[in-house]
Amino acid sequence: MKKILLVLLALALVGGSVGYYLWNKPHENIRSAKTDMAIDAAQLFQEYNVDETASNAKYLEKTIAVSGKVKEVTKEEGSVKVALETGNEFGVLCVLDEFSSHPRTDFPVGETVTFKGKCSGLNFDVQIDRCVEVK
Amino acid sequence: MRKLLFLFLFLAALFLANTAAAQKFFTRDAKVKFNSDTPMEKIEAVNKSASCLLDTQSGKMAWKVLMKGFQFEKALMQEHFNENYVESSQYPNATFEGEIVNLKDINFSQDGKYNAITKGKMTIHGVTKDVEMPGVIKVSGGTVTLNSNFTLVCADYDIKIPAVVRDNIAKEIKVMVEGVLKPK
Repeated sequence: MKKILLVLLALALVGGSVGYYLWNKPHENIRSAKTDMAIDAAQLFQEYNVDETASNAKYLEKTIAVSGKVKEVTKEEGSVKVALETGNEFGVLCVLDEFSSHPRTDFPVGETVTFKGKCSGLNFDVQIDRCVEVK
Repeated sequence: MRKLLFLFLFLAALFLANTAAAQKFFTRDAKVKFNSDTPMEKIEAVNKSASCLLDTQSGKMAWKVLMKGFQFEKALMQEHFNENYVESSQYPNATFEGEIVNLKDINFSQDGKYNAITKGKMTIHGVTKDVEMPGVIKVSGGTVTLNSNFTLVCADYDIKIPAVVRDNIAKEIKVMVEGVLKPK
Protein backbone atom coordinates (compact mmCIF):
# COMPACT_ATOMS: atom_id res chain seq x y z
CA MET A 1 0.00 0.00 0.00
CA LYS A 2 2.77 2.36 1.02
CA LYS A 3 4.70 1.54 -2.14
CA ILE A 4 1.76 2.50 -4.36
CA LEU A 5 1.40 5.77 -2.51
CA LEU A 6 5.08 6.52 -2.99
CA VAL A 7 4.89 5.74 -6.70
CA LEU A 8 1.86 7.99 -7.02
CA LEU A 9 3.62 10.77 -5.15
CA ALA A 10 6.68 10.43 -7.39
CA LEU A 11 4.47 10.60 -10.48
CA ALA A 12 2.70 13.65 -9.10
CA LEU A 13 6.02 15.36 -8.48
CA VAL A 14 7.27 14.55 -11.97
CA GLY A 15 3.97 15.68 -13.47
CA GLY A 16 4.05 18.83 -11.41
CA SER A 17 7.62 19.62 -12.41
CA VAL A 18 6.90 19.09 -16.08
CA GLY A 19 3.83 21.28 -15.78
CA TYR A 20 5.79 23.97 -13.95
CA TYR A 21 8.55 23.88 -16.55
CA LEU A 22 6.09 24.13 -19.45
CA TRP A 23 4.17 26.91 -17.81
CA ASN A 24 7.29 28.94 -17.26
CA LYS A 25 9.29 27.91 -20.29
CA PRO A 26 10.97 30.82 -21.99
CA HIS A 27 10.26 32.00 -25.51
CA GLU A 28 12.42 30.22 -28.08
CA ASN A 29 15.98 31.49 -28.09
CA ILE A 30 15.97 33.20 -31.45
CA ARG A 31 19.70 33.87 -31.45
CA SER A 32 20.50 30.17 -31.45
CA ALA A 33 17.58 29.16 -33.66
CA LYS A 34 18.42 27.50 -36.94
CA THR A 35 17.69 29.63 -40.01
CA ASP A 36 15.17 27.90 -42.28
CA MET A 37 15.92 30.14 -45.25
CA ALA A 38 17.86 33.25 -46.22
CA ILE A 39 16.30 35.76 -48.57
CA ASP A 40 16.69 39.26 -49.89
CA ALA A 41 14.09 41.82 -48.71
CA ALA A 42 13.05 42.88 -52.21
CA GLN A 43 12.50 39.29 -53.29
CA LEU A 44 10.50 38.41 -50.17
CA PHE A 45 8.28 41.47 -50.63
CA GLN A 46 7.79 40.69 -54.31
CA GLU A 47 6.78 37.09 -53.61
CA TYR A 48 4.24 38.18 -51.01
CA ASN A 49 2.70 40.74 -53.31
CA VAL A 50 2.37 38.28 -56.16
CA ASP A 51 0.76 35.56 -54.05
CA GLU A 52 0.15 36.10 -50.33
CA THR A 53 -1.34 32.65 -49.71
CA ALA A 54 1.51 30.78 -51.41
CA SER A 55 4.05 32.97 -49.61
CA ASN A 56 2.43 32.28 -46.26
CA ALA A 57 2.58 28.55 -46.96
CA LYS A 58 6.27 28.97 -47.68
CA TYR A 59 7.35 31.49 -45.02
CA LEU A 60 4.79 31.84 -42.22
CA GLU A 61 6.28 31.05 -38.81
CA LYS A 62 9.60 30.01 -40.40
CA THR A 63 12.88 31.39 -39.11
CA ILE A 64 14.07 33.62 -41.92
CA ALA A 65 17.31 35.57 -42.38
CA VAL A 66 16.35 38.62 -44.46
CA SER A 67 18.88 41.11 -45.89
CA GLY A 68 18.32 44.59 -47.16
CA LYS A 69 19.16 48.27 -46.93
CA VAL A 70 17.82 50.14 -43.92
CA LYS A 71 15.05 52.51 -44.98
CA GLU A 72 13.74 53.69 -41.62
CA VAL A 73 14.00 52.87 -37.93
CA THR A 74 11.01 53.48 -35.65
CA LYS A 75 11.24 53.25 -31.88
CA GLU A 76 8.00 53.27 -29.99
CA GLU A 77 6.80 51.91 -26.64
CA GLY A 78 9.79 49.66 -26.14
CA SER A 79 9.70 48.21 -29.63
CA VAL A 80 12.29 48.85 -32.34
CA LYS A 81 11.23 48.34 -35.94
CA VAL A 82 13.59 48.45 -38.89
CA ALA A 83 12.04 48.90 -42.33
CA LEU A 84 14.08 47.41 -45.17
CA GLU A 85 14.06 49.00 -48.61
CA THR A 86 12.40 47.14 -51.47
CA GLY A 87 12.00 50.04 -53.89
CA ASN A 88 8.30 50.26 -53.03
CA GLU A 89 6.24 52.33 -50.64
CA PHE A 90 6.21 49.35 -48.28
CA GLY A 91 8.82 46.71 -47.69
CA VAL A 92 9.97 44.28 -45.06
CA LEU A 93 9.44 45.33 -41.46
CA CYS A 94 11.82 43.71 -38.97
CA VAL A 95 10.61 44.00 -35.39
CA LEU A 96 13.42 43.51 -32.92
CA ASP A 97 12.93 40.72 -30.40
CA GLU A 98 11.84 42.01 -27.00
CA PHE A 99 13.13 38.86 -25.29
CA SER A 100 16.70 39.24 -26.54
CA SER A 101 19.37 41.82 -25.82
CA HIS A 102 20.68 43.70 -28.84
CA PRO A 103 24.25 45.00 -29.25
CA ARG A 104 22.81 47.91 -31.22
CA THR A 105 19.37 49.38 -31.85
CA ASP A 106 20.45 52.19 -34.12
CA PHE A 107 20.85 51.28 -37.75
CA PRO A 108 22.08 53.91 -40.23
CA VAL A 109 19.78 54.49 -43.19
CA GLY A 110 21.25 52.92 -46.31
CA GLU A 111 23.34 50.33 -44.50
CA THR A 112 22.86 46.73 -45.59
CA VAL A 113 21.80 44.59 -42.65
CA THR A 114 20.58 41.06 -42.06
CA PHE A 115 17.97 40.12 -39.49
CA LYS A 116 16.92 36.65 -38.38
CA GLY A 117 13.37 36.34 -37.14
CA LYS A 118 9.99 34.69 -37.55
CA CYS A 119 7.78 35.62 -40.46
CA SER A 120 4.33 36.74 -39.32
CA GLY A 121 2.82 37.52 -42.69
CA LEU A 122 1.84 40.51 -44.79
CA ASN A 123 0.36 43.69 -43.35
CA PHE A 124 1.31 46.25 -46.00
CA ASP A 125 4.88 45.29 -45.15
CA VAL A 126 6.09 41.73 -44.81
CA GLN A 127 6.48 41.52 -41.06
CA ILE A 128 9.28 39.60 -39.43
CA ASP A 129 8.92 39.42 -35.65
CA ARG A 130 11.42 38.43 -32.93
CA CYS A 131 14.36 39.76 -34.96
CA VAL A 132 18.00 39.72 -33.99
CA GLU A 133 20.73 41.12 -36.16
CA VAL A 134 23.05 38.57 -37.71
CA LYS A 135 26.16 39.14 -39.73
CA MET B 1 -4.40 91.04 -63.82
CA ARG B 2 -7.95 89.99 -62.92
CA LYS B 3 -7.44 86.67 -64.63
CA LEU B 4 -4.40 86.00 -62.45
CA LEU B 5 -6.29 86.88 -59.31
CA PHE B 6 -9.17 84.64 -60.29
CA LEU B 7 -6.77 81.79 -61.04
CA PHE B 8 -5.03 82.30 -57.73
CA LEU B 9 -8.32 82.27 -55.79
CA PHE B 10 -9.47 79.18 -57.65
CA LEU B 11 -6.26 77.30 -56.88
CA ALA B 12 -6.33 78.43 -53.27
CA ALA B 13 -9.91 77.20 -52.89
CA LEU B 14 -9.00 73.87 -54.46
CA PHE B 15 -6.00 73.48 -52.17
CA LEU B 16 -8.03 74.30 -49.04
CA ALA B 17 -10.83 71.96 -50.04
CA ASN B 18 -8.34 69.16 -50.51
CA THR B 19 -6.47 69.53 -47.27
CA ALA B 20 -9.61 69.81 -45.19
CA ALA B 21 -11.75 67.09 -46.70
CA ALA B 22 -10.22 64.40 -48.90
CA GLN B 23 -7.41 62.90 -46.92
CA LYS B 24 -6.18 59.44 -46.12
CA PHE B 25 -4.55 58.76 -42.78
CA PHE B 26 -2.47 55.70 -42.06
CA THR B 27 -0.39 53.90 -39.45
CA ARG B 28 1.25 50.52 -39.22
CA ASP B 29 2.28 50.98 -35.62
CA ALA B 30 -1.13 50.79 -34.02
CA LYS B 31 -1.49 48.87 -30.80
CA VAL B 32 -4.03 46.13 -30.18
CA LYS B 33 -4.18 44.71 -26.69
CA PHE B 34 -6.52 42.11 -25.32
CA ASN B 35 -7.06 40.49 -21.99
CA SER B 36 -9.07 37.84 -20.32
CA ASP B 37 -9.40 37.96 -16.57
CA THR B 38 -10.81 35.05 -14.66
CA PRO B 39 -10.30 33.95 -11.06
CA MET B 40 -8.24 31.09 -12.52
CA GLU B 41 -5.97 32.95 -14.89
CA LYS B 42 -4.99 36.32 -16.23
CA ILE B 43 -4.20 36.36 -19.93
CA GLU B 44 -2.88 39.40 -21.72
CA ALA B 45 -1.34 39.96 -25.13
CA VAL B 46 -0.27 42.97 -27.15
CA ASN B 47 0.40 43.59 -30.82
CA LYS B 48 2.29 46.78 -31.64
CA SER B 49 2.15 46.55 -35.42
CA ALA B 50 -1.48 46.76 -36.42
CA SER B 51 -2.26 48.81 -39.49
CA CYS B 52 -5.10 51.24 -39.90
CA LEU B 53 -6.20 53.20 -42.94
CA LEU B 54 -8.77 55.96 -42.58
CA ASP B 55 -10.42 58.03 -45.28
CA THR B 56 -11.67 61.16 -43.55
CA GLN B 57 -13.88 62.12 -46.46
CA SER B 58 -15.92 58.92 -46.59
CA GLY B 59 -15.34 57.85 -42.99
CA LYS B 60 -14.21 54.44 -44.18
CA MET B 61 -11.79 52.65 -41.91
CA ALA B 62 -9.78 49.44 -42.27
CA TRP B 63 -7.71 47.69 -39.63
CA LYS B 64 -5.46 44.70 -40.09
CA VAL B 65 -3.47 42.82 -37.51
CA LEU B 66 -1.22 39.78 -37.84
CA MET B 67 -2.13 37.12 -35.27
CA LYS B 68 1.46 35.92 -34.99
CA GLY B 69 2.43 39.43 -33.93
CA PHE B 70 0.62 39.14 -30.59
CA GLN B 71 3.11 38.92 -27.76
CA PHE B 72 2.37 37.07 -24.56
CA GLU B 73 4.58 36.99 -21.53
CA LYS B 74 4.28 33.22 -21.34
CA ALA B 75 5.64 31.32 -24.35
CA LEU B 76 3.24 28.44 -23.73
CA MET B 77 0.24 30.76 -23.81
CA GLN B 78 1.45 32.25 -27.09
CA GLU B 79 1.83 28.77 -28.54
CA HIS B 80 -1.67 27.71 -27.45
CA PHE B 81 -3.14 30.94 -28.76
CA ASN B 82 -1.59 30.46 -32.19
CA GLU B 83 -1.80 26.69 -32.56
CA ASN B 84 -5.04 25.79 -30.81
CA TYR B 85 -7.27 28.83 -30.47
CA VAL B 86 -6.92 31.20 -33.39
CA GLU B 87 -5.08 28.70 -35.63
CA SER B 88 -2.94 31.47 -37.05
CA SER B 89 -1.23 29.26 -39.61
CA GLN B 90 -4.59 28.95 -41.34
CA TYR B 91 -5.88 32.42 -40.53
CA PRO B 92 -2.87 34.71 -40.22
CA ASN B 93 -4.83 37.98 -39.96
CA ALA B 94 -7.70 39.59 -38.21
CA THR B 95 -9.32 42.49 -40.03
CA PHE B 96 -11.96 45.12 -39.54
CA GLU B 97 -13.58 46.96 -42.41
CA GLY B 98 -16.17 49.56 -41.69
CA GLU B 99 -17.01 53.19 -41.43
CA ILE B 100 -17.68 55.96 -38.98
CA VAL B 101 -21.43 56.15 -38.63
CA ASN B 102 -21.56 59.69 -37.24
CA LEU B 103 -19.01 61.20 -39.63
CA LYS B 104 -20.81 64.54 -39.66
CA ASP B 105 -20.06 64.95 -35.93
CA ILE B 106 -16.33 64.86 -36.55
CA ASN B 107 -14.36 67.79 -37.84
CA PHE B 108 -11.00 66.50 -39.03
CA SER B 109 -9.81 70.04 -39.67
CA GLN B 110 -10.30 71.11 -36.10
CA ASP B 111 -8.20 69.88 -33.19
CA GLY B 112 -10.34 68.22 -30.60
CA LYS B 113 -11.73 64.97 -29.21
CA TYR B 114 -14.79 63.47 -30.84
CA ASN B 115 -16.94 60.51 -29.84
CA ALA B 116 -17.41 58.20 -32.79
CA ILE B 117 -19.43 55.10 -33.55
CA THR B 118 -17.89 52.70 -36.02
CA LYS B 119 -19.81 49.96 -37.74
CA GLY B 120 -18.48 47.24 -39.97
CA LYS B 121 -17.29 43.69 -40.46
CA MET B 122 -14.83 42.05 -38.10
CA THR B 123 -13.07 38.93 -39.37
CA ILE B 124 -11.20 36.71 -36.93
CA HIS B 125 -10.30 33.05 -37.35
CA GLY B 126 -11.95 33.11 -40.76
CA VAL B 127 -15.34 34.13 -39.35
CA THR B 128 -16.89 37.49 -40.25
CA LYS B 129 -19.31 39.25 -37.94
CA ASP B 130 -21.14 42.57 -38.07
CA VAL B 131 -19.95 44.74 -35.22
CA GLU B 132 -20.53 48.21 -33.93
CA MET B 133 -18.31 49.91 -31.41
CA PRO B 134 -17.78 53.27 -29.80
CA GLY B 135 -14.49 55.04 -29.94
CA VAL B 136 -12.76 58.36 -29.52
CA ILE B 137 -11.16 60.26 -32.38
CA LYS B 138 -8.60 62.85 -31.41
CA VAL B 139 -7.50 65.37 -34.01
CA SER B 140 -4.30 67.11 -33.06
CA GLY B 141 -1.51 68.77 -34.98
CA GLY B 142 -2.30 67.09 -38.28
CA THR B 143 -2.59 63.57 -36.85
CA VAL B 144 -5.67 61.52 -36.07
CA THR B 145 -5.60 59.28 -33.01
CA LEU B 146 -8.14 56.48 -32.81
CA ASN B 147 -8.99 54.79 -29.56
CA SER B 148 -11.54 52.12 -28.83
CA ASN B 149 -12.39 49.61 -26.12
CA PHE B 150 -14.74 46.77 -26.87
CA THR B 151 -15.37 43.12 -26.10
CA LEU B 152 -15.30 40.03 -28.26
CA VAL B 153 -16.84 36.66 -27.59
CA CYS B 154 -14.61 33.71 -28.56
CA ALA B 155 -17.55 31.55 -29.58
CA ASP B 156 -18.68 34.19 -32.10
CA TYR B 157 -15.53 33.56 -34.10
CA ASP B 158 -15.57 29.81 -33.75
CA ILE B 159 -12.64 29.90 -31.34
CA LYS B 160 -12.94 26.67 -29.44
CA ILE B 161 -11.91 26.59 -25.81
CA PRO B 162 -11.41 23.06 -24.51
CA ALA B 163 -13.57 22.13 -21.54
CA VAL B 164 -10.53 21.58 -19.36
CA VAL B 165 -9.54 25.28 -19.56
CA ARG B 166 -13.02 26.73 -19.85
CA ASP B 167 -12.75 28.47 -16.47
CA ASN B 168 -9.35 29.92 -17.36
CA ILE B 169 -10.56 31.96 -20.29
CA ALA B 170 -13.17 34.67 -20.04
CA LYS B 171 -16.31 34.42 -22.16
CA GLU B 172 -15.83 38.02 -23.20
CA ILE B 173 -12.35 39.17 -24.13
CA LYS B 174 -11.59 42.83 -23.54
CA VAL B 175 -9.88 44.49 -26.49
CA MET B 176 -8.21 47.87 -26.62
CA VAL B 177 -7.03 49.45 -29.85
CA GLU B 178 -5.06 52.62 -30.24
CA GLY B 179 -3.44 54.14 -33.30
CA VAL B 180 -1.87 57.46 -34.20
CA LEU B 181 -2.55 57.97 -37.89
CA LYS B 182 -0.56 60.33 -40.05
CA PRO B 183 -1.52 61.75 -43.45
CA LYS B 184 -0.68 59.38 -46.25
